[in-house]
Formats: sequence, C-alpha cells, structure tokens
Amino acid sequence: MRKVDLVYTRVRTEEKLLLEALRRRDCAVNLVQDSGMVLSMDRQRVTEADTVLMRSMSFTRARYLATFLEMKGLRVLNSARTISLCGDKALTSAALAAKGVPMPWAFVAFDEDACLDAIDAKGYPVVTKPVLGSWGRMVARLDSRTAAEGVLSTRFGTGGAQDHVALVQEYVDKPGYDLRVYVIGRTVGGLRRRSEHWITNTARGAVPERYEVPVVHARLAEAAADAVGGDMVAVDLLETRGGDIYVNEINHCVEFARSIDETGVPLPDLIAEYVASGAGGARR
Amino acid sequence: MQVQNPMTESVTPNQCPLCAQPVPGGNRLVGEVLSCDGCSAELEVVGVNPLRLEEAPEVEEDWGE
Ligand SMILES: [Zn+2]
Repeated sequence: MRKVDLVYTRVRTEEKLLLEALRRRDCAVNLVQDSGMVLSMDRQRVTEADTVLMRSMSFTRARYLATFLEMKGLRVLNSARTISLCGDKALTSAALAAKGVPMPWAFVAFDEDACLDAIDAKGYPVVTKPVLGSWGRMVARLDSRTAAEGVLSTRFGTGGAQDHVALVQEYVDKPGYDLRVYVIGRTVGGLRRRSEHWITNTARGAVPERYEVPVVHARLAEAAADAVGGDMVAVDLLETRGGDIYVNEINHCVEFARSIDETGVPLPDLIAEYVASGAGGARR
Repeated sequence: MQVQNPMTESVTPNQCPLCAQPVPGGNRLVGEVLSCDGCSAELEVVGVNPLRLEEAPEVEEDWGE
C-alpha cells in the first residue's frame, strides 16, 4: 500500500476528488495543510509517507516544501525543480528555449528605459506579464509606446527588487480560443477555452470546450513537460491564425474543477494512477 | 436575519458568517471550501467541533493554477 501525504492550502473540489481517487487505489492518504508545516534543515524523517502530492496553492510554499521534502528523501509530485521552473514564467521560457520548444518570442528586462527601447525595436503590440502569479492577473497587452510607459512605470516604480523584472512576449493573435493539454506522464487529454477576451482563462470566464488532442499538439506538450521535468502538468498552447502552434505556459498544480465535465478527461483518476504507480519524482 | 452579539466571537459555529444559514457539520476538514446554500458565498472551514466558517480569503499574490 502506498502512503501519500496530500499537501494542500484549501480543500477545493480538486483536492476532494484527488483524495477519493487515491483512496480508491488503496493509497493511505494523509491530508496536511501547508500553513502548519515546519521542516527542519536535516534529513530527519517527517512522515510515514513515501510520496507527497503537492497541492499547495502558494508558489512560495510549494517550492520550499517540495525542496525540503525531497531533501528528506521523499518522492514529491511535482518535483521541486518543476515547481520552481513553472512558477516563474521567465524561467519557464528559459527551460523551453534550452530545449528548442516552439514558443512566442520573449525577453526579460530589468530597467524601464531598456525595456521600452527593446519593445520599440520589436514593434507593438506586445504582452507583458509578471514572472510570478497567474489566472491572468496583471497580464497587459501594450498597443503603443504610451501604454507601455504607463504599465512599465508601475512595474518598475512599485514593489521590491524581485518585482523589477519585466517579461515581454510576442502578442499572438489567437483565433478566439487557446488550448490546454494535460500531461500526466504522457498526454491524457485536453481542453479548448473559448473567449471573446484575449485572456482566455476559465477563472476569468472563458468557456471550456471538448478538444481531441491531435498528435502534433500532444508531442509539443510532452516536449514542454519534459523541458521542465514535469510529471503532471497542464501545458497551455497558443495557435496563431497562420496555423503555427506555440507553448505559452506550463502549470504545475493542475486545476480541473471548472472543466472536468466538458473535457471528459478523468483527471483525478489519471493523477491518482500516476501517484500510485511510483513513477516520476526527482529521484527517478 | 439573526443579529450577532458584538461581544461574542465574530465566527458563530455551524452557520454562514455572511447570511447565518446553518451549515451541516460532520466529516469536515480544516481548509475545506464550501459553497453556502443561502448566499452562495465561498466559505472556508477554519475549525471543526464546533464547525467554524469564514468567508474564503481573496486570491493571494502567489496563488497560481
Ligand atoms: Zn451564506
């Protein structure tokens, strides 16, 4: 019997379904709230479990907890490395670029003037987003120099040193939807999110639709998952009107509550199956 | 609508802190997210025995998907 610690921030629909799916596979699951965890800097055992399913909603907590739990010899899904890369969009881009995975062109800049000059050279529109954070928060499309000056003066004029990085990305004129491919070891299915707004996010009101993942998309998503060492990830793809396909982002904590009915992909069972199989983790 | 005594704890057991709709306890987990049948608010379980609920917190800066 596999002993699993499910680390969570809040027990949402996802966590309830995962818990049930794991128990159906005879896993002994222990629920652990991330806010109560205290981890010593040594290799002392902290749990009876051999596997940790990391479902912390906080990138900061997930990254540290995964790192220290791995140090203590546990198999953590996803691994600390995957969480660190996926949680920071600049590092995701670097990991994808290193493996030659097709993505929108992107650059990072650390100074307002240098960033403006670089955008001017590329031409408008462009997209800028914070390197941390998601659900489409603070993602801005810059249509002109004036807009860029406004957004970037806020980016560089507020917050601390860690906030003073701008990730600028090619604006992809997508055909009213984007695509999300779930890779749980291998591609297991996907979702099309349709929206009139250029930010297609189900948390922002985009409508999920069924989508049979073509082989080309599956191979691309698996290459992206591989580039970040992801065991169970959701890969966001962008399709251009010209028919090119790019990897946009990779999510390390797969959410599915809003879309499970439409996709017909039994994600809780597929994730539980993977956890129970013993595959993956940083120790592989 | 039930008026709360300001001298007691702001979180009254077994009911929604927003509309006072009774919420069934039993087998709840700290951190569990519920939807109130009365006002549809997202509630978070902050204690069990007795069941204590708070309005689920807003999204934090580093909460991703
Ligand atoms: Zn209520």
